[in-house]
Amino acid sequence: MPIHVLGIRHHGVGSAKMVRQRLEELGPDMILIEGPPELDEVLSFVGVSGLQPPVSIMIYNEKETTKSTFYPYSSFSPEWVATAYANQNGIPVRSMDLPANVTLSTVFRDGQKPILEEKLSEEDVQEPTEEELDHPENDKGNIDLEKAMQITHSDPMSHLAKLAGYKNSEEWWDYMFESKGQSDTPAEHFKAVMMAMSALREENITSSLDVQNIYREAYMRQIIRKAQLDMYENIVIICGAWHAPALLDVEANAKGDAKLLKTIPKVRTKLKASWIPWTNDRLSMYSGYGAGISSPGWYEHLWAYDTDVSIKWLTRVAELFRGQGQDMSTAHVLESYKLAISLCQLRGKSHVTLAELNEATLTVMCMGDAILLELIKKELIVGNAIGAVPDDIPKVPLQQDFEKTVKSLRLRLSAQPKEQVLDLRKVNELKRSVFFHRLKMLEIPWAVPRSSRTKGTFKETWKLKWDPSIMISIIDKAYLGNTVHLACLSKVDQLCQKSKKITVVSALLSKTIPAELNECIDKLLSKIDELSTISIDVQDLMDALPKLINMSRYGDVRKSDLMVLNKVVDRLLTKVFIGLPNACYGLDEENSERVFLLVSDLQTAIKINDDKEKTEAWLDAISKVQSKEGVHDIILGCTCRLLLDAERLDYDEATQKISLALSTANKPQHVASWIEGFLKGSGMILIYDNRLWNLIYDWVNSLEQEVFMDLLPYLRRAFSRFEHGERRQIGSKAKKGKISRVNISDSKEADDRWNEEAAVDIFGTLEMLMG
Amino acid sequence: MSIIRNNAEQQFAEELEEIKKQDINPVPANWSMSPQAVVTYLMGEKLKNGFEVSPKYIGDRRLMEIAVATLTTDRALLLYGIPGTGKSWVSEHIAAAVSGDSTLLIQGTAGTSEEAIRYGWNYAKLLADGPSKEAIVETPLIRGMQTGKCVRIEELTRMSADVQDTLITVLSEKMLPVPELDIQYQAVRGFNVIATANNRDKGVNELSSALKRRFNTVILPTPKTAAEEIDIVKTRVSSLAKNLELPVQIPAVTEIARIVKIFRELRHGVTEDGKMKVKSPTGTMSTAEVISVVNSGLALAAHFGSGELKANDIASGLVGAIVKDPIQDDVIWKEYLETVVKTREEYRDIYRACKEQ
Repeated sequence: MPIHVLGIRHHGVGSAKMVRQRLEELGPDMILIEGPPELDEVLSFVGVSGLQPPVSIMIYNEKETTKSTFYPYSSFSPEWVATAYANQNGIPVRSMDLPANVTLSTVFRDGQKPILEEKLSEEDVQEPTEEELDHPENDKGNIDLEKAMQITHSDPMSHLAKLAGYKNSEEWWDYMFESKGQSDTPAEHFKAVMMAMSALREENITSSLDVQNIYREAYMRQIIRKAQLDMYENIVIICGAWHAPALLDVEANAKGDAKLLKTIPKVRTKLKASWIPWTNDRLSMYSGYGAGISSPGWYEHLWAYDTDVSIKWLTRVAELFRGQGQDMSTAHVLESYKLAISLCQLRGKSHVTLAELNEATLTVMCMGDAILLELIKKELIVGNAIGAVPDDIPKVPLQQDFEKTVKSLRLRLSAQPKEQVLDLRKVNELKRSVFFHRLKMLEIPWAVPRSSRTKGTFKETWKLKWDPSIMISIIDKAYLGNTVHLACLSKVDQLCQKSKKITVVSALLSKTIPAELNECIDKLLSKIDELSTISIDVQDLMDALPKLINMSRYGDVRKSDLMVLNKVVDRLLTKVFIGLPNACYGLDEENSERVFLLVSDLQTAIKINDDKEKTEAWLDAISKVQSKEGVHDIILGCTCRLLLDAERLDYDEATQKISLALSTANKPQHVASWIEGFLKGSGMILIYDNRLWNLIYDWVNSLEQEVFMDLLPYLRRAFSRFEHGERRQIGSKAKKGKISRVNISDSKEADDRWNEEAAVDIFGTLEMLMG
Repeated sequence: MSIIRNNAEQQFAEELEEIKKQDINPVPANWSMSPQAVVTYLMGEKLKNGFEVSPKYIGDRRLMEIAVATLTTDRALLLYGIPGTGKSWVSEHIAAAVSGDSTLLIQGTAGTSEEAIRYGWNYAKLLADGPSKEAIVETPLIRGMQTGKCVRIEELTRMSADVQDTLITVLSEKMLPVPELDIQYQAVRGFNVIATANNRDKGVNELSSALKRRFNTVILPTPKTAAEEIDIVKTRVSSLAKNLELPVQIPAVTEIARIVKIFRELRHGVTEDGKMKVKSPTGTMSTAEVISVVNSGLALAAHFGSGELKANDIASGLVGAIVKDPIQDDVIWKEYLETVVKTREEYRDIYRACKEQ
C-alpha cells in the first residue's frame, strides 16, 4: 500500500502545478490534505461552478461565532487543486490535522500542555471593529492556522536560504520550487523537497512551532493509518513541506502516536464550516489575516500562463500604467524585458523572477521612481481580486439574506471603495438607504455614511467598501436572527433592554426610523415612558427631548406610533417643566454649563414643537428658575434672555434685571458668567440694543484694572462664540463709547423711512413662495 | 612629477587585473571583463585566490546589478540622485571596469555646445583643404563609438535641451551622421553612454521624453544606515589621504562617526534616536560633504595642527559645509549646536570648537 507524500508550500503556485501533474501520474484512490477534519463536509463544493477563489473556509462555533478560524484558498493553492482534481474524478478527499474544535477550544487555555500556546493567544478573536479593519495588523486575533504553518517551515528553511545566498527563505523557496517552470518532472520535484526537508530535520534544526507539530503530525499519521485500514491502496498526501518527512514512516510510530493523542482532552463542541469570499489582499502578507504570500497577483499570473510569463506580465504592467495616463510604449515593455533577462544572467539565475521584473519596471518604465512601483504592487502583485460563493452552498441564513438583499438592490460587493449618493424620493434608493441603516444598526461596516454635499434631507451619501472580514462580522451576528431585518429587531431589543438612560433609548429610536424598524418603535417608546416615570434625572430628559421632538415633527413615523410618541413627548416635557427649577439648584460650574446648553437646545426644540400651551408652560418654568436662589449665573443669564425674547419681561423689567445682575456689588466672575449666558453665543443684541449696550459699557467701565484683567478670560470666552462680523461691529461700536441717544433699536429713525407702497409690493412674491 | 589624482583604472589597476584573471563568465564584445566581474569590482569581494577587492560602492548591490545589466542591453544608463551620492564616482568605476578606460568624458554645463558632443571642425584644415574627415575634431563620444567603449556624460541635465537631444540619434541608431561629408560614424559593439544628473539643482533642463526613453534610470539614494555612511567616508578619506600624501594619522572610526551623525541628523531633520526634530539646512548635506569636511580637517591637522585630527580642525569645514545660506542656515546651525550638540557629553570639544568659529 504505497503512500505518496507531496510536500508543498501553502499557496505555492509551482507546488500546485506539480501537484496537478503528479496526481495525474499517480491516479490515487484517496487524497489526504492538510487541514482539520471539519473541512471535510464542505470540501465537496470545490469545483462547483460559481465557487470562485479566492475563497476561504470559515470554521466557527455556531453559538459563539467569535471563535473562528479560516482556511483560505486561491486558484493556485495546491490543496484547492488537489481537491478539485479529486472531486472531478470521484476520488474521496479527507483532511488530516488536529480537529479545529481542539485547536480552538478553551481546554488548552488553562491546560497543562504547552501544545497550542500560539493558538491560544489568538483565541481572543474579537469581532473586527472598524478600527481594527483600518489597521489589520492589530487584529492578530484572526491569524489562522495556515499562517502558523507558514512560520513552521519558513524558519528552518532560512538555513538553506542563507547557504544559497538568499535574503530569506521565502525568496529561496520561491526561486527553487515555485517559479521554476517545468524543468523538473513532478516526481523529481517532490523528491527534492523531501530530501531538503529531511536534511533539515536530520540536522535537528527545529521550528518555532515544533511543540505543536508533534501532536499535529501524530494525528496526521493516525489518519493515514485509518485510510490504510479502510483499504485504500494508492494514497496521496498533500501537506506543508516541513511535515513531509514525518509522515513517511506511518507504521513505526503507531504506538507512540496513540499514546500521545490520548493526552489531548476530548472536546465536544460542534463546529460548522462554510465558504466565504476572500480577497487577494487578505492572502498577502500585508494584512494580519495573511496566509502568508506577498504576491498573490503574481502567483495568479504564473498559474494562468505557462509560456512567455515575463513578457505577458510586463505587458500587463504597461497596460496598467497606460490606464493611469502614463505614456508607456511597446519599446518600454521590450526594454524592460531585455533588462530583466540581463539581470537574470548577471545573477546566474535560470529564470526571471518577480524581483528582476520589478527592478526592470522600476528602471525602465518608472525612471527609477519607486512611487510608481507601489501602484504595480497594489494592483498587480497583490491584486484586488475578490472571490465568490454561489447561492446553493450552505451558508449562515443571515449571510444568505444579506446576499439576497444586496442582489435585489442591485449592489455589488467590491473591494474598491465606492460612493453611493441616494435620492430618497426614489423607491429603490430609499430601499438601499434603509438597508444601509440596518447594517449600521448591526455594526456591519460595509456602508459608512458620509455627509452629503448638497443640502436637503432627501439625499444621503454612503461610502461602500467590501472586505472579507465584513462577511465574518455578518456571520458573527448570525445568532441575532435569520434575516437582516430580524437581526436588527433583536439587536434593538437587546440594546433597549440594557439601557437605563432615556438619552440612549431616544438615540436608538432615532436610528430605527431611517432603518424602518417600525415594529420596535412601540417597545422603545414604552421603554422611554417607563424610564421617565422612574427617572429623576432631569438633565437626561432634557437631553433626550430635542431628538424626540425632531422625530415627531419631521421623522417618518407611522400615525399610530406618532400619537404615542407625541404623548411621550408631552409627558416628558411636563416632567421637565416641573423638575427644571430644582434641577438648576446648587450646580457646580461644569453642570451649570451643561444645563445652560440643554436649556438652549430645548428652547429650539420647543419652538419647533410649536404648541402654545407647552410654550407657555416652558416660560413659566424658566420664570421660576429666575426667581430661585442658588442658581448659577450662566443659567440665570440665559433664562433672562429667553424671557426677554419671549416678551415675558417688558423692557423696563429686563433692564432692571440686567442692571441688577451687573451691579458692582456682584462678584465680577458671576457677572461674566451671567453675560455669557445672556448673550447665548450671539452678539446681535449688543449691536442693536443701545440700552443694554450702555449697561454693559458702564459695567466694564466700573471695573478696576486688576479685576478687569482677571475677568478677561471669562469675557473672552463669552465673546469668542460670536461670528467674526459681529465681533467687528461690536469692536467699532465700542470705539464710539456710550451711546447717548437711547431709544429701543432706533425705531424712530426706522419709522421715518417706512415706505408703505414698497412694502406692499413684496407681498405677492412672498405669497407665491410660501404657498 | 606625480599626478594629483589617478584615474580609477590606474588606481585600481591591480584589482582589475586580478579580477580579469579570475573571471570565468562570458565577456561581452569589447568589454574588458564579464558583467558579473564588474559587479564584483564595484561591490568588493574576496576572490577565490584570496585577493581582496575593495568595495567602490557601499550600498545596495541590487542597484549596481541593475546598472551593469543595463549596459549589456542597448539602453544607456542614467545615474540620478541628489548631489554627493556618488554618481560620478560610480560612473567612473563602471567605465573603468567595463571598458578599461574612464577618460571618455563630456562635462555638461549650460555652455556645452553641440560640437562638444557631436564633432567640431579644425578650421585651419577646413579652410586649407575643404571639408574632409581629417578636418573633423572628434569628441569623446565619437572615440567611444569607434573603439566600443563607455562614454561618460557628467551633469547631463545642465546642458540645454537642444544639445541634450543631439544624443537621441546616437543612442537609438547607434550612429552619428556627418551630413557635410555624407558619411557616418557607426558605433562598435561595447559602446554605451553613462550619464549622471542631479535632481536637487536649480537651473537644470528636464530631459525630453524622447531622450528619457533611451535611458534606464538608476536612482542612487543617500546611505541607508549610519554604519554604511561611516564606511564610505572612511574608505574615501583614507584613499584621498594616501593620494595627497598627508603626514597625518587616518582618523578613528569614532571620529568619523561623530561627523556622520551630525550630517545625518541635519539631513533627515531628526536626531538619530528619533526623539527630537531639527531643522534641515538648505544645502544637500550629502556624504560627499562629509568626506570633504574630514579631508580638509586632515589637511589642517597635517599642516597647521598636531598631525592628529582634532575638533578644531573639523570645526571650520563643518560650519562651512552646513551653513550655505548665511542667514537661514546660520540660525538652523546655531539652534542645532545649542540644542543637540551642547547636550552631548562626547561632543563637548566639537561644541567648543564650533562656538569659537
